[in-house]
Amino acid sequence: MADPGLDEFRAEVRSWCRDHIPAGWRAAQTGVSEDEYVAFQRWWFAQLRDAGYAVPHWPAQWGGGMPLARQVVLYQELAAHDAPRLVLAFVAIHHAAATLLEAGTEEQRARHLPAILDGEIWVQGFSEPEAGSDLVSLRTTATRDGDRYLVHGQKLWASGATHADWCLLLARTDPAAPKRRGISYFLLDMRTPGIDVRPIENAVGESHFCEIFLNDVAVPAVNLVGAENAGWQVAQATLGAERGLTMLELAERLGQAGFRWLVEASGRLGLLGDSLTADRLAGFETEIAGLRALCRDLVERHEAGRAGPADASIVKLYYSELLQRMTGFGAEITGLPAHAVLRKPASSGWESGAWMLDFIGSWEWTIPGGASEIQRNIIAERGLGLPRESVL
Amino acid sequence: MTSSGATAGELAAIREELRAVARDLLGKTGAAAAPDWAQLAAAGWLGLEIPAELDGADATFAETAVIVEELGRAAARTPYLGATVLGTGALLATRPGPARDALLAAAATGEETPVAVVPEGAAFRLARIPGEDERLRLHGHAPFLPDAAQASTLLVLAYPSEADGTADAAKPVLVVLNPDAPGLTVTPQPVLDETRLLAEVSADGVTVIEDQTWRLADDPHVAVKRLRDRAAVTLACDSLGVAEAMLAATVSYAKVRQQFGRPIGSFQAVKHACADMLVQVAVARQLVAAAVVALAAAGAALATGEDDAGAAAAMAKSYACAAAVDVAGKAMQLHGGVGYARESGVHAYLKRAALNRDLFGSPTAHRARLAARYRATAGETDQMVD
Repeated sequence: MADPGLDEFRAEVRSWCRDHIPAGWRAAQTGVSEDEYVAFQRWWFAQLRDAGYAVPHWPAQWGGGMPLARQVVLYQELAAHDAPRLVLAFVAIHHAAATLLEAGTEEQRARHLPAILDGEIWVQGFSEPEAGSDLVSLRTTATRDGDRYLVHGQKLWASGATHADWCLLLARTDPAAPKRRGISYFLLDMRTPGIDVRPIENAVGESHFCEIFLNDVAVPAVNLVGAENAGWQVAQATLGAERGLTMLELAERLGQAGFRWLVEASGRLGLLGDSLTADRLAGFETEIAGLRALCRDLVERHEAGRAGPADASIVKLYYSELLQRMTGFGAEITGLPAHAVLRKPASSGWESGAWMLDFIGSWEWTIPGGASEIQRNIIAERGLGLPRESVL
Repeated sequence: MTSSGATAGELAAIREELRAVARDLLGKTGAAAAPDWAQLAAAGWLGLEIPAELDGADATFAETAVIVEELGRAAARTPYLGATVLGTGALLATRPGPARDALLAAAATGEETPVAVVPEGAAFRLARIPGEDERLRLHGHAPFLPDAAQASTLLVLAYPSEADGTADAAKPVLVVLNPDAPGLTVTPQPVLDETRLLAEVSADGVTVIEDQTWRLADDPHVAVKRLRDRAAVTLACDSLGVAEAMLAATVSYAKVRQQFGRPIGSFQAVKHACADMLVQVAVARQLVAAAVVALAAAGAALATGEDDAGAAAAMAKSYACAAAVDVAGKAMQLHGGVGYARESGVHAYLKRAALNRDLFGSPTAHRARLAARYRATAGETDQMVD
């Protein structure tokens, strides 16, 4: 378990951070055009990839294989040095990769995993206007037509769809089957004719969420992931695999960046001697320590095949609500000046230090990806075995 | 149970077995009951950390923590906190010697119940009697001391008076006393939690000879800090056990209790409360585990510098003890009228959780201790509070 090279590795990452994180990127990324943001994200991804830091959580044969303890150190140092985040590549390196590794064919992996390392961008096409929390009610259909499927319907809240090359798509292949038995999982090339992407402005003035209209879009049958009508199971299996790993980075970030800035902000405001402020800060430090341990534990148990059925939901729920309370506290101690920060840097984290925007933005964690209410249902039903609610 | 040379996997297996045995044994006694102390001795739980040559098991605080968590789960009434955790812990932190070793060996078998009196601050003072070389006097008073009235021997943490003038002035020592010593009064202090026995100890000029003052090994201030951390983490472990028991009881009840023609556990209002209980328990478990590891690693000898064990203890104590009160409170709420009735036993857990929260530092006090570090890093001169 002990890694004698861990301190050396930390020194290596630190040195890399000093050499590669552009000074003043925050100012440069504040108020940038969409094109400049995308270019910066692609450039930063390439930097991390060349250092071997972009996909440390992937298996070694695909370019990862970093021991967990080192991944933690990597995320700690990136956050401590205020590195930009990989926003655009997030779905590709986590959700898409986890799906391909868990359920993809060898051909699908070979086609996409190296391409992701070359910058292929992915989007998740799960939610629909009538299928949010009740995702299993999704209506987009995929109809078999020879060696292809024709997809028809509408997806919603697809983050980053404007720039995506590929889409992880859930569509109904058997309308007659019980809801969760008639769904299939597809890899959809976003350049296929019949796709129309329209951005939606969100509560913090950004437009990364999109609607995707699918008008008889042809998907080759080889792009089916898992068996036909087994898409729901594929999506569920993938969730557990990616949750711990995505959270590992975010939890370290909450400690190394978010919490540190809260302490600094409190110091600047002369509030460190204030017992109420000090009490809240110590409470956050404690909860972050708990979150970090939970994330690490989840990854370790997942790797050992011992993760519980509600563990990923516990981590997601706890992170989301802790982020919301922490950013809310940042806004609270900053007071009116927090309201005058009208933009936060693109490519920054969920706790950018623009506390009001971060606070509003934290609902992007408590709502998508299974709202907190849905997570609580999952925790209670799968984690504790409580009975499902009677369906009226 | 020797921990030396065992792999991490073997140690984990040993702890799981210890846990299974403890749950079984305490389950037979029933919740909020008093298991036989001789039975605990026979199970080897009183000598876990005592060296093998003194009839102990040569184990670590990590094994003690397993027993404590199970005692919390059963809300068991035992002097384990005052005697085994604090008494034996204090003895292990003192310099070895024939008398100390004999007392440890007797504690392992349960023949002796040495209870450490570790009050807040320097409540007990030791002063030399002018003109006498060998005799001192102990003065002081402290309330709410766990298990002091159950002690066969009291180990009172005392600070020599400043007037002493020697190099050892202000270095805390353990004063070993017979509870019947003239001038010493031990008065049981009933509290609402009937699963713990607290007492008030007063020393009004108790005569103490040099042989009765046992020195703490290494840096005595660090040893005392560790002892307090040990108490804090123990209460966090106990509260974790309390919370786990209350969550399990509530989930079982919500599955069978029917209202409006369905199990109440199918209602989201109930379900979400249970989910929140599980999240709190999961977080508490991580923080407690981290504190146990840090404390077991730190032992009594602590390097100066960053006090990781102290911070981990403060986090575990403040979070787990507060969480247990929340969880036990929700358990009472979700059990409805049944939960409020004395017969259900939920009240015993809620009271124990609340008492655990206040013993050895409230959550607020522990968070203040954590927060003192922020000022230190911000360049101010504050230091970590003891």
